[in-house]
Amino acid sequence: MSPAFLNFIEIFINGLMAGIMYSLVALGFVLIFKASGIFNFAQGVMALFAALTLVGLQTGQVPFSHLINAIFGTDIHDWGPGLPTFLAILLTMVVMIALAWVLEKFVLNHLINQEPIILFMATIGLAYFLEGFGDLMWGSDVKTLDVGLPSGGSFWWEDVTRAWAPEDADYWGMYIDKLDISATIIAVVLVTALSLFSQYTATGRALRAVADDHQAALSVGISLRKIWVIVWSIAGFVALVAGIMWGSKSGVQFSLSLIALKALPVLILGGFTSIPGAIVGGLIIGVGEKLAEAYIGPMVGGAIENWFAYVVALAFLLFRPQGLFGDRIIERI
Amino acid sequence: MPKSGQKAGRKPVTFPQYLVLNAERYADRTAMRHKSYGIWQSWSWPELFEEIRAFSLGLRELGLKKGDKVAIVGSNRPRLYWSFCAIQALGGVPVPVYADSVAEEMVYVLEHAEVVMAICQDQEQVDKVLSMQDKLTSLQRVLYDEVRGMRDYDQEHLFSIDSIQARGAEIFKSSGDADWIEAIDRGEGADLAVMLYTSGTTGRPKGVMLSFDNLVISALNGNAFDHLDEHEQTIAYLPLAWVGDHIFSYAQAYTAGYCVCCPESPDTVTEDRREIAPTYFFAPPRVFEILLTQIMVRMEDAGKTKKRMFDNFMAHARKVGEPILNGEPVGLADRIKYWIGEILVYGPLKNRMGFSGLKVGYTAGEAIGPEIFRFYRALGLNLKQLYGQTEASVYITAQPDGEIRADTVGRPSPDVEIRIDEDSGEVLYRSPGVFLGYYKNDEATRTTKTEEGWVHTGDAGFFDQEGHLKIIDRAKDVGKLANGNLFAPKYIENKLKFFPNIKEAVAFGDGRPYCTVFLNIDLTSVASWAERNNISYASYQELAAHPEVYRMMEEHVDQVNRELAAEEMMAGSQIHRFLVLHKELDADDGELTRTQKVRRSFISERYEPLIEALYDGSTSKHVETEVIFEDGRKGKIAATVEIREMKEHAPSFAKEAAE
Amino acid sequence: MNVHVHPTQEFRFMRPDDGIKKGDPLLVVDDISLSFGGVKAITDISFDILKGEIRAIIGPNGAGKTSMLNVINGFYHPQKGTITFRGQKRSRMRPHEAANHGIARTFQNIALFNGMSVLDNIMTGRITLMKRNMLWQALWRGPAETEEIENREIVERIIDFLEIEYIRKTPVGRLPYGLQKRVELGRALAAEPSLLLLDEPMAGMNLEEKEDMSRYILDVNQQFGTTIALIEHDMGVVMDLSDRVVVLDYGQKIGDGTPDAVRNNQDVIDAYLGVSHD
Repeated sequence: MSPAFLNFIEIFINGLMAGIMYSLVALGFVLIFKASGIFNFAQGVMALFAALTLVGLQTGQVPFSHLINAIFGTDIHDWGPGLPTFLAILLTMVVMIALAWVLEKFVLNHLINQEPIILFMATIGLAYFLEGFGDLMWGSDVKTLDVGLPSGGSFWWEDVTRAWAPEDADYWGMYIDKLDISATIIAVVLVTALSLFSQYTATGRALRAVADDHQAALSVGISLRKIWVIVWSIAGFVALVAGIMWGSKSGVQFSLSLIALKALPVLILGGFTSIPGAIVGGLIIGVGEKLAEAYIGPMVGGAIENWFAYVVALAFLLFRPQGLFGDRIIERI
Repeated sequence: MPKSGQKAGRKPVTFPQYLVLNAERYADRTAMRHKSYGIWQSWSWPELFEEIRAFSLGLRELGLKKGDKVAIVGSNRPRLYWSFCAIQALGGVPVPVYADSVAEEMVYVLEHAEVVMAICQDQEQVDKVLSMQDKLTSLQRVLYDEVRGMRDYDQEHLFSIDSIQARGAEIFKSSGDADWIEAIDRGEGADLAVMLYTSGTTGRPKGVMLSFDNLVISALNGNAFDHLDEHEQTIAYLPLAWVGDHIFSYAQAYTAGYCVCCPESPDTVTEDRREIAPTYFFAPPRVFEILLTQIMVRMEDAGKTKKRMFDNFMAHARKVGEPILNGEPVGLADRIKYWIGEILVYGPLKNRMGFSGLKVGYTAGEAIGPEIFRFYRALGLNLKQLYGQTEASVYITAQPDGEIRADTVGRPSPDVEIRIDEDSGEVLYRSPGVFLGYYKNDEATRTTKTEEGWVHTGDAGFFDQEGHLKIIDRAKDVGKLANGNLFAPKYIENKLKFFPNIKEAVAFGDGRPYCTVFLNIDLTSVASWAERNNISYASYQELAAHPEVYRMMEEHVDQVNRELAAEEMMAGSQIHRFLVLHKELDADDGELTRTQKVRRSFISERYEPLIEALYDGSTSKHVETEVIFEDGRKGKIAATVEIREMKEHAPSFAKEAAE
Repeated sequence: MNVHVHPTQEFRFMRPDDGIKKGDPLLVVDDISLSFGGVKAITDISFDILKGEIRAIIGPNGAGKTSMLNVINGFYHPQKGTITFRGQKRSRMRPHEAANHGIARTFQNIALFNGMSVLDNIMTGRITLMKRNMLWQALWRGPAETEEIENREIVERIIDFLEIEYIRKTPVGRLPYGLQKRVELGRALAAEPSLLLLDEPMAGMNLEEKEDMSRYILDVNQQFGTTIALIEHDMGVVMDLSDRVVVLDYGQKIGDGTPDAVRNNQDVIDAYLGVSHD
């Protein structure tokens, strides 16, 4: 195989892996949108908040230390050596569930039967609140997150691919980050588990029922409030996974919440109501972005990776507004 | 475990004897399956033996004696099949009845057969039997299988099969089954095994008496002919009263020891068949037609790529599929393409139809369209034709593997002799399967069966050069046009019916100046065509009379005329005029038999004005027709039916004989 | 040895008895008023539903029939009055609580889960009876698995009862209207309800479908002993099916009694003939 072709494969694979990360974020949106019709603007911030909490627990930070120090004039930062990773993840999950519960109790429950736009506004509010609250709780400095996932390039893969090129070619093998590989595996497991859960369990059936028809769901005895807590908890869990992945890759900082914006073109492509859509949409955006950067970028002076996805999404809107897998929306007039 | 009381070394000659044997020799094989509450329940041969023994002992307790006739009314459910054997074990004679026949039709059979007991599937059948009770003086007990809806029935002579089986099991517990086994052992091959009433196209049904020898020998011959053994699986879905089902789902299953699967309900047969994937399957041509139509409709609605792939590979299969199946030499490239097609198209298609495990499939009862027949053969399915009758215990001729033609029905089956009557061209046969006689109807027996044992089939036919039998029509239906040309209505009708858009055709011409036909459109296929072509319609009647539909029918008729013109015997009987009927021919209106055959004379009477119009040169005719709805109410439909004139083609057959 | 499921008994509900004797009031509606903004939908209505009966609620369009049903199953909360169900008095109940207490219902415009199969739809009807922890479900082991299988069995019995085996796996969105109505009834039955509310079960059906549905309703009532309250427009059906009828007009009760009594009630005749009010 020629080095040019091998390069293409490398870019393609890296695109797929980046795409998986987008899919993870988009998944959180889809879950909530399907179950409650809410476009959760705060999904990105939830990922940030989850990552912050995880780092904080891992490193043994005292929550609200700045606030406490400012008010009481104390100087506390840490309460100890921190928690083992596994325990920290578990505890973070508990925090996310608690967040979902609080949210349902104090926000959503009061907005039942409101217009979607109102609920959307509420999630914007939630996003800013959560961002500030996260800062207040854990501080606004950039943190590194390490949950023990392998990182760095895979030498083994480099060696394998090196041998594919002709002997005399100037080719040094493919670079694939081990972190991306773990992310892919985790994402696959997560999605499989979620779809099995929704297909084969009573709660899964209830989730699908609520997504399909609220009124009918109520009549068979499904408590919408309970389902919302479950859905937001699952979305919180997905946010935690996304937060871990992105955080491990590029540090835990405010920009993490911006991954939500990356999920938008994915959703437009895949449709707001389809889980497979979120996956496939993410992959297409990921691959498209990397290929465009590598092959079209040089022609127009580079750096198209940042806006390419939005252009694709825009073009897509013109032809298939409901997305690849979304429900067709036909308004009768 | 059953104890075999059989005398050592004696071969079984009755089905109860086979049951005892199978419980031993196939102790770990499945004998029967039934889908119930979404799950396939199964019975091994020993379990089947126990169920039937309990049933039989219970029946004996109810007073069933040797020679008693028992009606069996219902669809393909395990307990009804068990009742055959349970009754025969006591020397009784089961009389299966068409479950969908209306009460008046049923009462004749039950009265004529002098049944003492009726075993019904469900409330619906029980109601039917109870409603005619005052006419059935011999009827003493009614049994039912499904308990649903039976809670308010308090008749004292009404029993559930369950309660009978429970009673039988108690009897076995207290006094064993030695006397029962002994009675089975006393069974002789010459004993009357079953009475099957044929729903003849004319006159009252006749009770065909078949002995154990008739059925057992025919079944054994059939098993040997197609190499059937205890590993086969079939699905039982055809009427119990039909001889085909009795042979395939009972006689052959007991003699070969294979497994019979009962579907969950008549509506789920296709789905259930897919799950079972039978190895041995039997269907009248209609079933294959419907399946093919469904596939074609689905393909018309499929995406472009899928459709193109389907067309491409089906064309290839038509070219090489049959040669491969027949073991003829085929090039490697073609084989590889066929193999790819198997993965992409044929395999999934066969799976969808439930034929992925098929070893042998048969079609019979009527001629099958050559295109339809070839379609299935091209997919690699070993579909064959046979020619049979109730009076013959099915088998008269069958196609041996590798000698398959669309237009013949094969060679004489094992042990069957055939001769063609020189005057009338009628087919006669003699075989071990030949029936004992018609019950209480010696006159009919004498006219059908000669003293030497030859049976008149009533069909006209001839042997081709290779020794295959070809059937043209009912012997009495073959007539002459006024100008002396041969007129074989069935032959013409079949050619028309081979078009998927034509469901039914009735040809007229005997003693008339030329041939004319009534057509019935096939709603499934024409409706789908109409949808694709943006043709809107509000009713069957409107669709049938649509000018575009008429134009399509014209093309079909013209095609048939061209084919007829190419055949020496038939070129003179091309279709001159035709019309499309405003209603579907229906068994409820008496226009078809329960086996969906056209009742020619009835139709001629009922639609006399239309036939006259076909010959008096008019271009349309107004008619009013009385119809009977499913619930028995009567109504009228009126319509103006258009008549079309056709061109005759010049005879184009090659004059082989002259050379 | 195989286990063979062959019911020697007709299918019956397993839900423990609700403790009310046949013929005693199962549900008592007492002095209920409901209004939306200034519009009064129901005014001071009282009636009862006896255990084991088929109770029809009829009235011209806009009479408040569906509102009444919505009050009973908790979709609407009345401003005034109480509802006593199985001896417990309450003024407001959430819909899922109503379902938990054994009230199941169908809707005038069919509210099924269109994307789900017939089987899944009917399985959702059993949600109130499936109590296993979500964590068990997630593992799909042990008690949750057993529970799933037990419930599936009951659902299969209902599928058999309604004769819809052949569409078991079909998404309900693809079914014709009449069948959807039957599936919706199946979902309500799956809850083994004490009280079954049917909102125009025969609306939009042809004669044959209506006859089928009537037979199912009668079978449910007799075979399972389920108390049924139904709203229906087809007067013939109502009079044939129901034991007692309550008539509403403009949100007020104008008649209550046996079909015959109601048929001869002058107020009812006037309401149906459109005699002007006041």
